Amino acid sequence: MTPAWTIISAFAGALLVLLLPARMAIASRAIALAASLVGAVAAAASCLTRLNNPLDPVWSFDRPWIPGFGIRFHLAADGLALTLLLLTGIVAVAGVLFSWNVERRPRAFFAFFMTIIGGVYGVFLSRDAFLLFVCYEIVILPKYMLIAIWGSTNKEYGAMKLTMYSIGSSALILIGLVVAYAASGGKSFDIAHLASAHYAPALQAWAFPVLFVGFAVLAGMWPFHTWAPTGHVAAPTAASMLLAGVVMKLGAYGALCVALPLFPQGFEQWKPVIAGLALIGIVYGALTALSQKDLKFVIGYSSVSHMGFVLLGIAAGTHWGLRGAVLQMISHGIIAGLLFGIAGRVVYERTHTRDLTELREFDLWRTLPGAAIAFTLATAASMGLPGFSGFVAEISVVIGLWQFSPWLVPVVAFGIVITGAFSLRALHKAFFPVRNSDDAPPSLLPPLTWPEISAISLLIAVSLAIGLYPKPWIVLIDDGLRSPVFHSILSMP
Amino acid sequence: MQLLPEAVLVLTALVLLGAAVAVETQSGKPISKHAAIVIAACGVVLAGLALCYVPVDVDSGKSLIVIDPLAHIFKAVVLGLGLLAVLLPPARGEIPQPGEFYALMLFALTGLLLTTGTNHLLFLFVALELASLSLYLLVGFSRTARAAEASLKYFLFGGVSAAFLLFGLSFLYGFAHSATLAGVADALGAGPPSALAVTGLVMVVVGLGFKLAAAPFHYWAPDVYQGAPATSAALVVAASKVVGMVVLVRFLMLGFHAVSAAGSAAWGGMVAGWSPWLAVLAAVSMVLGNVLALAQTSVRRLLAYSAVANTGYLLVAMSANGASAAGAALFYVIVYGLATLGALAVTAAVERDRGNDSPVAFAGLIHRSPWQAVALLVFLTSLAGIPPLAGFVGKFVLFSAAMAESTKGGTPGLTWLVALAAIMSAISLYYYLSVLKQAFVRDTPDGGNTAAAGPTLSPAHFLAVALPAMALVVLGLFPALLLDPIASALVASLGLR
Repeated sequence: MTPAWTIISAFAGALLVLLLPARMAIASRAIALAASLVGAVAAAASCLTRLNNPLDPVWSFDRPWIPGFGIRFHLAADGLALTLLLLTGIVAVAGVLFSWNVERRPRAFFAFFMTIIGGVYGVFLSRDAFLLFVCYEIVILPKYMLIAIWGSTNKEYGAMKLTMYSIGSSALILIGLVVAYAASGGKSFDIAHLASAHYAPALQAWAFPVLFVGFAVLAGMWPFHTWAPTGHVAAPTAASMLLAGVVMKLGAYGALCVALPLFPQGFEQWKPVIAGLALIGIVYGALTALSQKDLKFVIGYSSVSHMGFVLLGIAAGTHWGLRGAVLQMISHGIIAGLLFGIAGRVVYERTHTRDLTELREFDLWRTLPGAAIAFTLATAASMGLPGFSGFVAEISVVIGLWQFSPWLVPVVAFGIVITGAFSLRALHKAFFPVRNSDDAPPSLLPPLTWPEISAISLLIAVSLAIGLYPKPWIVLIDDGLRSPVFHSILSMP
Repeated sequence: MQLLPEAVLVLTALVLLGAAVAVETQSGKPISKHAAIVIAACGVVLAGLALCYVPVDVDSGKSLIVIDPLAHIFKAVVLGLGLLAVLLPPARGEIPQPGEFYALMLFALTGLLLTTGTNHLLFLFVALELASLSLYLLVGFSRTARAAEASLKYFLFGGVSAAFLLFGLSFLYGFAHSATLAGVADALGAGPPSALAVTGLVMVVVGLGFKLAAAPFHYWAPDVYQGAPATSAALVVAASKVVGMVVLVRFLMLGFHAVSAAGSAAWGGMVAGWSPWLAVLAAVSMVLGNVLALAQTSVRRLLAYSAVANTGYLLVAMSANGASAAGAALFYVIVYGLATLGALAVTAAVERDRGNDSPVAFAGLIHRSPWQAVALLVFLTSLAGIPPLAGFVGKFVLFSAAMAESTKGGTPGLTWLVALAAIMSAISLYYYLSVLKQAFVRDTPDGGNTAAAGPTLSPAHFLAVALPAMALVVLGLFPALLLDPIASALVASLGLR
């Protein structure tokens, strides 16, 4: 199976779901599950093939599309893209499983869901800046619809805010790409071609931040992160999982694989600023999460903090830093999906509250032990305990940062301590409340269903797998980082 | 042979008028709306077939009428957009005399067809006025107070713009001693542009600015979009705008392509000429159109202000003064015309069903009529520039080409304008989305039986919605189908590189 099956399966799934007759609407979830399984299997198979044959040329598909502007339909899958495809596939499967109980307009729900998945696959596979931008923008409208129609808590506001941030940042990306296209001679939108051109330092000095910020908004970079908590909280569970799990990665991926290679000198100049913003994001996100009352807001701000590690790894600009950034993208994708799944679906659907003090009444540790165990493991992974994916990722970023500037490491350490604090606080308040013996006994809650159990086990297993045996992931990521587009970044002093 | 399509249109109009008189004397009632639509639509289709037999030739610089590749493509486009406008039926009882109404539609189309195929200043004016006079009548044809206001405003503004245009053209003739654009280009090539040429050009651009609804010459647009019968409005928003753009391209790219006349609008490298002026018009149109659209409570008026904003994007490309930018602008104006026409067709359907065209009237459209809601999604997201629709590709190539054409030696020139355009385009998503929010997210306010409440459309109205939606999807996925022919037509017709 070639990596193209990821895109094909997602869009075919979306189309099939839309074509279902109204009385078979409930079958849409089965179709969505099948389509996301095909995508995940295709991604996994491609990863294995790449691992076994690391010297083969990478899979690619290249056809002219708009010849007058040098735009080609160019897909290619190096190891880095493949790991992110696999992440998307896994989150997609878990997302469908966590949405198994969606009964309101299920066809539209799963069609929008699969469209987002398809767009995300497309971004990771694109090697043409136009195609990448197309896939990047395809996800905007489905995101809006998912949140505005199926969301909760201030949903129309959250949806519109997220959409305006997305489209506004897209405008910045458009400006950056078009400037690179024009300044490189107006011949091609191929990313490798754009990256090989030489741009004047004065141009790079302003074009790099425009392009980088355009992508970094979606990655949740402080101070452009405010869409993330409101959007995540307003979104239905599956959409929060997708937003935090993969859509935020689109921004980080674009920053890493488009903004850096295109304007390396601009990057060199702006490195300290990015590092500073990333550090503020890590600490600010963690501190804000410490004072939240809504469980989803805790996870939302923790996403801002965790994505700060991705940006920090990128800002370090060393091999370890970039590798750590990608690992953290994957790790956070899995863990955020898991946390949102448990908080938004497993707990909220049963208790109808996410308020940390109200959750106390339910004594979740006794009434819903499965969820409590799962959330404990997810919290451990999120705190970056060894054995989970978060540890591998954060340690790589810190090593990269050490090579860049050892003086910044204590700040990161502070952020990690706060992360532990807010994670334990939320875990304690939500799942292991202190109860007096004279409190009313908690009402019984329905036990976990099989889709919930399978989704939770899948995500925990993947996080553990990465944490215990990170080698294949690192091999694949390094395969991508060897690409010529990163030469100018990684060869820098 | 050259005028075969136009002849077919005029003959059909005469047949239609004859039939209308015959029916009215026989039965005492005017000809039915549907019969008139069928006859007019057949005429437009026949004219399209006739166009296939028109020999394509490049202008020798002598003849009044040229069928160069550019004219050939845009005659086909105008006929296509005209057909869609004809298919969009008026509301019940809106048009008292369908025979005359559709005959006027055909006359307007004839004028628009003639306008696309001439490089002669005087003939251009005559053809444009033929189209405009028919359009003034069409706008006021429903005889409501709103339509009368719209028609009067359109006529007054149009009349002033025609005066500007004619005045400008006479200056150009005085400057070049030739009434052809090639003659003007030769005269410009001989030396620096004189005050006469500059005055003439400014007046022509003002005149065309009225037709294209560029700010600050856009005051007629909201009233016409809102007050005119949907059928007439569809002709004004799509076919007439496309033709205005073709004329502008011919003028600037053929007559005033010389750098001495164009100047440059680059930031910090401003050189006097028409390019900086167009850049200013573009900036004002984009800002004014988008900001005012945010405040509209009528979807038709919203579309009018979006038209002003979109004219701004088109002028961004024109101010780059290059062949690929002009090609991108021509592609975009077609895509824009399709999307606005379709949006207008859906709005007309909703308006007839719910009684008004406020965004709230769209609430719950997805339940009442799912395919209309999906079509509306296609039109509005195409206007907002969301992939995979043609509007996205159009804007992308428009901005790319404008930037590439204005880049000299690796230093981008029009960055400020393209950046403004990109940001304004992002803002526009807000007001398109506020309509889509009603259609997809909210429920119908009266909460009635949602399944049965959907408005059923006549087959013609259905086509007027479905065809542009399909065209936008196809052009979005395969834009080269239209971009490449336009690019090669520009090279062949205007000798641009």
